[in-house]
Amino acid sequence: MTDSDHDSSFIAEALPAFIEEARGHLQSLEALLLELESDPANRELLDALFRSAHTIKGSAGIFGVLAVVEFTHHVETLLDQLRAGKQALTPDLSTLLLECSDQIRALIDAAQSGQADDPAMCAAREEIVLRLQAAYGYTAPAQPASSDAVPHVAAAAGLWRIDVRFGSELFRNGMDPVAILSYLRGLGTFADAAGDAGAIPDLDAIDPESCYLACRFSLDSTEPRERIESAFSFVRDDCTLTIEAPAMATPPPAQLPAKMGSEPVRCKEPAKSVDDASYIRVQADRLDAVINLLGELVIASAGASLLARQTRQSTLIEANQQIGMLVEEIRDSTLQLRMVPIGDTFARFRRMVRDIAAKLGKDIALEIRGGDTELDKSVVEHIVDPLMHLVRNALDHGIEMPDDRVLAGKPAQGKLTLSACHEAGSILMRIADDGRGIDRQKVLARARERGLVAQDATLTDAQIVRLIFEPGFSTVDQVTDLSGRGVGMDVVRRNIEALRGSIELSSEPGRGSCIEIRLPLTLAIIDGFLVGVGPSKFIFPLESVIEVIEGREVAVQCDDFGRKVAGLRGQLLPVVDLRRLYELESAPVERSSIVVIRTGTLRFGVLVDVLLGQHQTVIKPLARIFGGLRGISGSSILGNGEVALIFDVAALGERASETPGEKRLKPAAVRELP
Amino acid sequence: MTTSYALPAELTIYAVGALRPEWQQWVTKLPKRRGKASGAAIFEVDAAAVLEVDGAGVQLLVALSHSLAARRRTLRLVNVGQTLASACEVLGLSAHLLGTGEPS
Repeated sequence: MTDSDHDSSFIAEALPAFIEEARGHLQSLEALLLELESDPANRELLDALFRSAHTIKGSAGIFGVLAVVEFTHHVETLLDQLRAGKQALTPDLSTLLLECSDQIRALIDAAQSGQADDPAMCAAREEIVLRLQAAYGYTAPAQPASSDAVPHVAAAAGLWRIDVRFGSELFRNGMDPVAILSYLRGLGTFADAAGDAGAIPDLDAIDPESCYLACRFSLDSTEPRERIESAFSFVRDDCTLTIEAPAMATPPPAQLPAKMGSEPVRCKEPAKSVDDASYIRVQADRLDAVINLLGELVIASAGASLLARQTRQSTLIEANQQIGMLVEEIRDSTLQLRMVPIGDTFARFRRMVRDIAAKLGKDIALEIRGGDTELDKSVVEHIVDPLMHLVRNALDHGIEMPDDRVLAGKPAQGKLTLSACHEAGSILMRIADDGRGIDRQKVLARARERGLVAQDATLTDAQIVRLIFEPGFSTVDQVTDLSGRGVGMDVVRRNIEALRGSIELSSEPGRGSCIEIRLPLTLAIIDGFLVGVGPSKFIFPLESVIEVIEGREVAVQCDDFGRKVAGLRGQLLPVVDLRRLYELESAPVERSSIVVIRTGTLRFGVLVDVLLGQHQTVIKPLARIFGGLRGISGSSILGNGEVALIFDVAALGERASETPGEKRLKPAAVRELP
Repeated sequence: MTTSYALPAELTIYAVGALRPEWQQWVTKLPKRRGKASGAAIFEVDAAAVLEVDGAGVQLLVALSHSLAARRRTLRLVNVGQTLASACEVLGLSAHLLGTGEPS
């Protein structure tokens, strides 16, 4: 089979899929390499690594991207030696392999854009190939490396590669893998069988009548595919079978060391999860369209139930409730579609941390926790840059040089931890380092220099640390080519606040810093708690409401600073009076209620007129002119067409704890919005 | 070295149910008898009697080897007949169970 036999239009159509897939494999290749650095002898990782490279090479061969095949072949040869235990993965080899993955990526990019190979890249690649050959001890100079790498040449041998994993019920169904494989052996030359001994549990764990067997082997046979498949016909439904036709069987026999074939091939989790998971690729804008429609549906359904309640027909109300429940379920599962694990984003930092640490001459271990925590894709996209900035900062400024660390009585290797977890309807990300921490005196001095705080002001430690996020707190004399890229911490904070999130920094001198980022799980729809003040309606995110004190005479007093406080079970609770805060022009009611809100560690009350209950809230952004409005993060349209404003509880909390200021904005104006 | 452990004639799905507890006994009794052993010691099992083998039997042998490995013993099958060798070979477990590559 030659390339010309392929329908060229088919190739053109399928090429994007190949490129996408190859990128995915490259990504896992890189991740595996980085993982191996901390665990160089891990056989499963080595196997997975080999398989990634092998798949890239194999599918590149099908699509005739020969440059990739040729190059990856060398990588594969080296990987093969690594997993056969002939060589150990040294940091140098690991760096070389990472460079290789960059090269493969460049080649794939070139294939995508249809560019001709540019000479500079070619030269760089040849140089890497030479290093690779040196690494695996190139022995046959007479034979051009490219020819045995091209799968189509190896095809002539008629070498089938078969990979079978038998189902657990196989024995109980009266089938025997040994009989099936023995039959196959009769069809040609059976070789390189590698069973998966690792998949079989030990005596204590095994169910002796369940089948755990899996095997990979090659079969040099001229038989047609049907004949080979027929061997499995009785167990077809009870096994996972991959038969690679000779044209696709990339490893030419010469290249398989005899030892490797006979060693058990362990089943490896990383590669398996890629194989097992089945995905449908959906364009993001189609999904967004569905979510937009869903938002409308939620509003319409709220409107319908409102009307139904007005008719006082119980059957109609019931029917509407039913619809409401279904809409809620659809909402949840649709939003789920947009959820992606944060781990992929975190994993990108592995490479970055490695490279930066090497550049700075620091030794830094990156620990990732909670990588499977899911959050909305658009949140993930927006959080990458701020995270990258924070990680860079921690690497550059936070963690000290190894010598300094030893002097400070800490291990020479610094530690950076990225973690994520869910907490009360939001996601909490932490970036923690065990570096030098923040020098408060230095920060304070600079803030004074910049005129951010008065010369004689006394600030608490927390307030000083927070200064770092102030606009204008430039870090000029700390600029290096890594983190001094013109993005200050204030930009990071702004980006995070734009996502309705919050950022907090805590630091212990000499022990390290920890940055906590709280983000909403989704940007589209939340469960809200609706309240009214006069004719205005407001919504709190439901998860931030801890309790309500309803319609009682609550003794609200003013403290010395003019802030309102209320007594709650013997404790003083700061209270925000919305009517005063936003100058709402309506007569105060006799009996107001207090909604008790929690944000982070802060607890405060909000004085409202009426409690209207739980409300599914479709978040609409506020117009730009309201950008300066503190305490409000968005708006929502209620079932009756009224507009309600959604509170940013963290910002509202800040207002609760400060003395009444001069500047006030009237959110009531928002009601004139279309 | 005395070979007190032996495989039965039938190493198949019909026998594995009864074999498992028996082999578990072999393994659990080990530490007391060889308390001083350091490093992986050889655990020899005579396979001369084996006449019938299927996938379930081979699989249980692998399980035995895993359990032995946990006690730092290496399973060595002696007097392996053609039937057993061939079953191991097609399953790609020769290297694991017999310590050999496939015959070439």
